Amino acid sequence: MSADATGVIHDLGYQRYDGDRLGRAQIVRTLTVYSLRAAFGLGRGAKAKIVPVSAFALMCAPAIINAFIVARGGTRAFPYDTYSAPVRMIIMIIFVAVQAPELVSRDLRSRVLPLYFARPLRRGDYPVAKFTALATACLIMVEVPLLVLYAGTIASSHGGGAVWAQTRALLPGLAIGLMWSVTLAVIGLAIASFSGRRAYTTGAVAIYFFLSLALAEVLIGVAGDGTAGARLGGLVSPLTVLDGVRQWLGGTSPGPVPAVGSYGAAYGVMLLALVGAGAAALAARYRKAGLA
Amino acid sequence: MAGQSPGTAIARPPGAQPADPGDAFVLETTALTKQYPGRVTALDGLTVQVTPGITGLVGANGAGKSTLIKILLGLLEPTKGRARVLGLDCQLDASRIRALVGYMPEHDCLPPDVTATEFVTHMARMSGLPAVAAKERAAESLRHVGLHEERYRQVGTYSTGMKQRVKLAQALAGDPRLLLLDEPTNGLDPAGRGAMLELIARIGAEFGISVVVASHLLGEIEQICDHLVAIEAGRLLRSDTIGSFTQSSQVLLVEVETGTAELADALRCDGLDPRPAGRGLLVPMDGDTTCDVIRDAVAGLGLPLARLEQRRHRLEEIFRDEPVPAGQPSTRASTRASTRASTRASTRASTRAGTEVSHVS
Ligand SMILES: Nc1ncnc2c1ncn2[C@@H]1O[C@H](COP(=O)(O)OP(=O)(O)OP(=O)(O)O)[C@@H](O)[C@H]1O
Ligand SMILES: [Mg+2]
Repeated sequence: MSADATGVIHDLGYQRYDGDRLGRAQIVRTLTVYSLRAAFGLGRGAKAKIVPVSAFALMCAPAIINAFIVARGGTRAFPYDTYSAPVRMIIMIIFVAVQAPELVSRDLRSRVLPLYFARPLRRGDYPVAKFTALATACLIMVEVPLLVLYAGTIASSHGGGAVWAQTRALLPGLAIGLMWSVTLAVIGLAIASFSGRRAYTTGAVAIYFFLSLALAEVLIGVAGDGTAGARLGGLVSPLTVLDGVRQWLGGTSPGPVPAVGSYGAAYGVMLLALVGAGAAALAARYRKAGLA
Repeated sequence: MAGQSPGTAIARPPGAQPADPGDAFVLETTALTKQYPGRVTALDGLTVQVTPGITGLVGANGAGKSTLIKILLGLLEPTKGRARVLGLDCQLDASRIRALVGYMPEHDCLPPDVTATEFVTHMARMSGLPAVAAKERAAESLRHVGLHEERYRQVGTYSTGMKQRVKLAQALAGDPRLLLLDEPTNGLDPAGRGAMLELIARIGAEFGISVVVASHLLGEIEQICDHLVAIEAGRLLRSDTIGSFTQSSQVLLVEVETGTAELADALRCDGLDPRPAGRGLLVPMDGDTTCDVIRDAVAGLGLPLARLEQRRHRLEEIFRDEPVPAGQPSTRASTRASTRASTRASTRASTRAGTEVSHVS
């Protein structure tokens, strides 16, 4: 390469840096923001934006359709606690399957981790920053459509009472969105951090979420509505577990899991176990990774 | 970035130049031992001190150079012993050390899908620089390593030589007090090696940053170092100034078509210490006159001179200063083979030293 042969070193003198240095907490925050931007392809090439931008647009589509329906005098078309359940499940699986590897597999692949760990960051800071970034990205993906749904609905509502009713219905929906984001991000990152090969980790995340969801639906279908078998079947997939917890916490809209009945607490325990296992796997991975 | 509140900012210790609290040594290890799982002992009771300046860390493959560097950065825990960098303890103050040290790993560590500017800026921020300063210093570092023109290209499109420079630039961007460079000339062609070495020499001399360079090529790093630390199998072979290393490392190879034994005797009478090597003799350099003494001896005996050139001992011989027993065929063969192997590396050094290299036939 000509640049090698002619790589002239221009000497304009070396400048010391005497300014302030950020502390560790601020460096972690910087890494979080950098990773959050990367989760939407910002600061990367055009190709990296295709999946997150189209996923976001598709997620917002039901809320936008709702705005038209309500404007023509209809009632709100989607509930705040489940939104459009199939759309949300499929798009979030795809989003996490593509973006979790973008945040962690890429760094494993390029072996850049020793550069991070040779800086003031500590081992645990890296996965914390990546988790915060992906969970925030998921939160944007899940909650912005809910806010659009809300805005579109109240724009055509009349009277403070109607607006207040919508607001009260929205708030639990936002809390459920937060639950979704934390769960999907931690599981997605735990799986993606096991390899630097993005094609594999994307496949692994997608297969885990889709297969477990399909299995849960088959088990529920075979056992039949209202049976204990159906209620147990919903425990095999993170997405049906999230739906079971929603119902346990008082969500009333029909969802992928039939009424959880007395099994609500089991769904709550299962959700904590899934998140805990994901967090433990992620922490263990970065306690030893990255020195290759 | 709203990140400059005084509460969280770490100010550089006062007095930028000798900021090092323990200033006599930039690094210091005491009986440092590292065992990897599977009972591989990478470092074995290593005790060494390194003063400011450019220090070469030489040793064959697997000697433990990279392991030492990783312990100094707190990337690895030592099994036993202690290490201090810039006066700070590697286990207790790892975070503070890492804010003061720049690291260039031996392996590839660059994501291909970002530009050099973006990557170095990000790494400068990870060193604790605020956004604006990080951007400025990234541009500055890339200029110092000679990548000013190409800085907006994706790193994936760079040649190996350019990638090595980006690795150096990211280590430099945080304005370190000490640079730890692990095999910086890895994968470079001779011109690229020369340019990289020149750059490191400038960083040490003009930028006022202490540098530790790990390499398995003595001939290469001795050109730029003030000090050499030689390790073998995790133990210290020798730590000394460059002057004392090169003196003992220079050796002349004399080959005459007949009369090798007479020549050896004659040289011994002249106070030299010739040893058989292949078809010729290896004579350790003893000042600038050695060459003349040999030529005079050959002329005096009237022998047909086939070759007289500067060679280098093999690495271990230099460090140990062990005399090679004369006349043993096995030693001869191995010395010869290794001498040949190292000739290429030493060519540059010998031409630089201006020693006469003559081929008379
Ligand atoms: N992660 C590891 N697990 C087990 N053994 C290791 C590991 N890393 C290095 N070693 C061993 O430790 C010894 C020293 O390795 P190290 O990488 O420090 O050597 P080096 O001097 O840097 O060699 P090179 O010139 O090849 O880079 C070698 O025997 C190596 O096989
Ligand atoms: Mg090494």
